[in-house]
Amino acid sequence: MSNQLLMTILLMTVVTYGSRVVPFLLFKGKNVQGFARDFIELVPIALLAALVIPELVTPSGSIVIMHNPFLWAGVLTFIFSKLVPNLFLGIMFGMTVFWGLDKLLL
Amino acid sequence: MSDEIAQDVRKGFAYGLRQSLTIVIGYAPVAVTFGILATQFGLTYWEAGLMSFFVYAGASQFIAIEMIHQGASFWMIGLTTLIVNIRHLLMSLSVVPYFPERTLKWSLGLAHGLTDETFVLNTRVMKDVIGEENRRRVMLGINLGAYSSWFVFTILGGVIGKWLPIQFSGFQFALLALFIILTTMSLSKNNYLTYLLAAVLAVVLKLLIPGKIYLILSVALAAGIGALWRKRARSRLINPSNEQTIKVS
Repeated sequence: MSNQLLMTILLMTVVTYGSRVVPFLLFKGKNVQGFARDFIELVPIALLAALVIPELVTPSGSIVIMHNPFLWAGVLTFIFSKLVPNLFLGIMFGMTVFWGLDKLLL
Repeated sequence: MSDEIAQDVRKGFAYGLRQSLTIVIGYAPVAVTFGILATQFGLTYWEAGLMSFFVYAGASQFIAIEMIHQGASFWMIGLTTLIVNIRHLLMSLSVVPYFPERTLKWSLGLAHGLTDETFVLNTRVMKDVIGEENRRRVMLGINLGAYSSWFVFTILGGVIGKWLPIQFSGFQFALLALFIILTTMSLSKNNYLTYLLAAVLAVVLKLLIPGKIYLILSVALAAGIGALWRKRARSRLINPSNEQTIKVS
């Protein structure tokens, strides 16, 4: 394994494990309330939006609507998993639909 | 046969492991996909496995192998990983109150298994487990089940990718599909405004600022504004003693 890759994995481990472990080591208090609690509760849903929507709407750097397999596969996966709440089936559906649309729309 | 209290007493490691099964079957295709893509991007299957073993954070691993492929420096990859994974700080913060008496060993162990998926499952399950000792064991079971499947299926994907050069464009949608399904599971009338705000901010900021900075900016802004909205909505309620009982998700 190259040093470059070793350093990459090491650095990724430090920042990721660090983010996970610091509250376990430092935070002793009971529970967070008020603004901080709301903020913490809203981070995951905001992150899901930030991770998904730009990838669907701007897959190649600018906004594409019609000839965009990402967008339509995303919409269909959303509808599918609303109807069938199953992680495995949802992912399989998403990948297959994306593959099909990718063939169709190009 | 047994009443509910007796069932609660029995909730421990095995119970957690059973609960983790829903995550395991979700992780399997994503981890296999990661393994296949990693080998296609020039990593060996055990290098991919090593990354899954130590980093254990899906989104950042996919981004990392893409950046490695593009020849980015490890500093850039490290910084991007920090931006994508800093959210674990917040998940960790909201989990630790379940374990006020934890020892250092438990802290170090439970922390490593915290992901978006195990966080959601743990917080849902934890409410019904009585006693900190049991809660630790349940979380260990959930975390260990999810973690070992992520690692094992990465290796499997890497081996598949090595021997079968598959050209299937669906792979590049695996992680997005996972996130979209998580969205449908966690979107509610309490948080959809924050979701929409984060979506708009992320698209605009991504178009304006190069790199991955848009992720942390849009998340921090949207969650901050969303929390302020809730604070305002709460202060409009007549009885301030209700504050503790308002259920938000």
